[in-house]
Amino acid sequence: MNRLLAFAILIPLTAGTAALAQSGGAQPAKTKKAAAPAAAPVAYVGSEVCGTCHEDVAKDFARNPHHDVETGDKHGGPNWTGKACESCHGPGGKHVESLSAADIRNPLKLTAAQVTSTCLTCHLNRPTQVGRIESAHAHNSVACTSCHSVHAHGPNGLVARKPAEVNALCAGCHTDVMARFQLPFKHKVTENTMTCVDCHNPHGGVKPGQMQMASANEPGCMKCHGDKRGPFTFEHAAVREEGCNGCHEPHGSSNAKMLVRQEVRLVCLECHANLPQPQPNATARVTGVVPPAFHDLTSARYRNCTVCHQKIHGSHVDRNLLR
Amino acid sequence: MRLLLPALALACALPALPQELPAAASSVPSGEAGISGFVDLGYRWVGTGGSFNTYRSVVDLGSGPKLLGTEFTISDPKHRLFDSVTVRAYNWGDDPYATLHVDVRRHKLYDFSADYRNIAYYSNLPSFADPRLSGGVTLNEQSLDTRQRMGSYQLTLLPESWLVPYLVYDRNSSTGNGVATFVSNDDEFPVGSIITNSTNNYRGGARIEQRRFHVTLEQGGTTFRDGQQLGMAAGSGTNYGNSFSAVLGQKLDLTSLSQAYRVRGDSIYTKALLTANIASWFDLYGQFLFSQPRSTVNYQQFDSGNQILLSQLIFYTGEQSIASAVSKLPHTTGSLGAELRPFRQLRLLPSWFTDRMHTSSSDVNAQTLTGTSLASGPATINSLLSNKLVNNYNQAELSAMLEVVPKVTLRAGYRYVWGNASDVILPVAELAAVETGTVRRNVALAGIAYRPLTKVSLNADFEDGVSTGSYFRTSLYNYQKGRVRGRYQVTPSLSLAASVSVLNNNNPNAGLHYDYLSHQETASFLFAPAGGKRWDFQGSYTRSTLRSEITYLDPAYERPGISFYRDNSHVATGYFDANLPVQKTRIVKLSLGGSLYMSSGSNPTHFYQPLARISMPVNKTLAWVSEWRYYGFEENFYGYQAFRTQMVTTGMRLTK
Repeated sequence: MNRLLAFAILIPLTAGTAALAQSGGAQPAKTKKAAAPAAAPVAYVGSEVCGTCHEDVAKDFARNPHHDVETGDKHGGPNWTGKACESCHGPGGKHVESLSAADIRNPLKLTAAQVTSTCLTCHLNRPTQVGRIESAHAHNSVACTSCHSVHAHGPNGLVARKPAEVNALCAGCHTDVMARFQLPFKHKVTENTMTCVDCHNPHGGVKPGQMQMASANEPGCMKCHGDKRGPFTFEHAAVREEGCNGCHEPHGSSNAKMLVRQEVRLVCLECHANLPQPQPNATARVTGVVPPAFHDLTSARYRNCTVCHQKIHGSHVDRNLLR
Repeated sequence: MRLLLPALALACALPALPQELPAAASSVPSGEAGISGFVDLGYRWVGTGGSFNTYRSVVDLGSGPKLLGTEFTISDPKHRLFDSVTVRAYNWGDDPYATLHVDVRRHKLYDFSADYRNIAYYSNLPSFADPRLSGGVTLNEQSLDTRQRMGSYQLTLLPESWLVPYLVYDRNSSTGNGVATFVSNDDEFPVGSIITNSTNNYRGGARIEQRRFHVTLEQGGTTFRDGQQLGMAAGSGTNYGNSFSAVLGQKLDLTSLSQAYRVRGDSIYTKALLTANIASWFDLYGQFLFSQPRSTVNYQQFDSGNQILLSQLIFYTGEQSIASAVSKLPHTTGSLGAELRPFRQLRLLPSWFTDRMHTSSSDVNAQTLTGTSLASGPATINSLLSNKLVNNYNQAELSAMLEVVPKVTLRAGYRYVWGNASDVILPVAELAAVETGTVRRNVALAGIAYRPLTKVSLNADFEDGVSTGSYFRTSLYNYQKGRVRGRYQVTPSLSLAASVSVLNNNNPNAGLHYDYLSHQETASFLFAPAGGKRWDFQGSYTRSTLRSEITYLDPAYERPGISFYRDNSHVATGYFDANLPVQKTRIVKLSLGGSLYMSSGSNPTHFYQPLARISMPVNKTLAWVSEWRYYGFEENFYGYQAFRTQMVTTGMRLTK
């Protein structure tokens, strides 16, 4: 019922939007295009003219991948041969005459959507765009130029490649996450053996947290933790259904093995609690509530469940995950 | 601002010595022939007081000569076989994390990259095996000393063309040893374990990139091997395990064990991605992903000692267990989304996502007990089990982003999540049962991006979810999640950033009463007069609080209890950099700083990592680099696991 409701909302909205766009929404753009010839001719001056004043930028630009725009040595997108600067900054004729910064498009002063739109003029149809729209970056108006230096004269070139630079770039905004890596049990990110993009896709993705995926659609964690991948004869359902985050805090924890609780038994018992039994009502039903045997938790032997249930991520031979 | 904030982040990251020093090699090929780059060679002394096992579990850096780091670029201006070869390598010389990265490229012809990492994973914390150290459990149970080696090699052909084929090979292996547990019927025995597993991943595909659409098609496959072995040689003594008590008047023991897992796995997978610009106001994207991993298992176990089969009260002195199992996991994922721009200020973002997996497996086990207390002699127990786990997850979302005025963008949306899961082991017995669950969640989404000035930006995100079903007691149920993040460049020299995030989740259903609240506040700054030419100072402070309460049942006495978890922590980092001119061409670089972490609550912990670093040029190509670090770790409840480590590294940097 709820599924139907969701579609009932989505489909008319999408269709309505499309209809609106066809009827009137896109019209302003058409009008603008049609009006363009009547307006004063757009004056492009060419990149050589730009380089006479912006010498440093031009010098760096000549050595970066965007220089293909200048030489026409690229595929896709409009043809900007000889006018690479103006492909992003707009026609420079007025700026050349007035030498005023107000007469040229400065991406620093544009909205994130406008900057992204400029970049997507050429980069729209690329693998990195799959899932971009759903990413937290897109939702929070993080423009491409927040990470990419278009002229490649920044400290990281076009984009950070070295692990230390990648991590520093991410930490520029995600300071709170980087703080977690100062905890004792964590992935080796501050050591720069790993980078944020090993696990997260900055361009977006369909998984929560923009998580990377391995082998098509397996959790990105399995890229390194291959022995946890399975499939197992006897699965621990939580691993498949809730993911690694159900028990581990991958950014850092004060608990051994990055666990979310200080003792293993609590990690287990919070789910394996035999409550509610019997089911009070259908909506409260949750899985994993079977009783975890009659172990006496005051005994040292039972305070760490994984001492015995050592194949906690899934077992190939034992239904109770003992071996 | 964009350049300053990453620099500020360096203070938070406190990366390793070689990568913090200014790189001599530009990331952009110079266009001139020859090699440019640097190499850092040095020696490290490490002195540790307190628990050396904890030090190894947390830090694990060792003494000795080291290749601290090198980066160099070889350029060929004639562009014969390559334009440039870039090499980066860090932390070689028995360090716990060594990395090597090589990029070779020839413009418009190929890009080749190789990435190799060798990471030590050591874990030996007595408190993990037995948090109360009350005796009975061998304290190195579940300890590991392994090396994980990961390699990734990718060749991309014709990288600037409309058709881009690529080939990738990844390998990931883990080898080492540890202490694991052999679990018998009423006792568990710590024994040595040899760990060895590896995964090979081969994939190839092509990207077709056109002006109006793009398609990526990829086909891949994996192979997997796991050969873990647990063993205890005959004649090496008697292992009495963790249980001190006699069972029916007899003490249980283990005198020999040979346990071998022989797991082989493989999979095929397919990936198809699509983006299309249907019209100027309509972008579409979608993906289809399918994988089908399989595992086959041949397990063998031989053990001897005085054991008991509790279910039938049979004592025995020898056991042979042989199991064969096979499992497969077809897994399909699909998504479809669009961006519609009916007006310049408005964007509509509908999307749909589905993820469906289904594990099915069977296991045949033959167990033979010898030396039994039965008059009839050896006992044979055969079992045939099958397992089916299904998980179907679906999500539909519609968001709208409206640019109210050029400086303000509002976002609102709705997400509906639904799915079902089941886990069945047949025949039903012991702990496992038939379980089914459903998830139904309605989520309202909202956000704002506010940028009143180019030097000021503010983002806020909010989610409010209401569920009528969830898989687990601690899953998201009725929750509110919010985040506010702001940045302000006060002056060209001073920039500030701050963020606040909150997650409140509760499940009020009878028998659960789950109540979870976490929030985190962060503030950071960078003060760099004159662009940091002479000195800069940067720092950050993060306070986080986590409170969790949930009812559970004490398994021994069927008595309800409450699991409390509290974590109140403070993390601070600070970093002072100075460039001191000694002569006109010589600049001594000095860095002081570090981080501290202090927490209270369920596991109060202190962890300090101060450092000091100096780089002094000897001549144009040679510099002396040295670093001092200190690691101080302390847990209030586990004082015996504290350690204090002084670390001095000194070496030379050769630059060309």
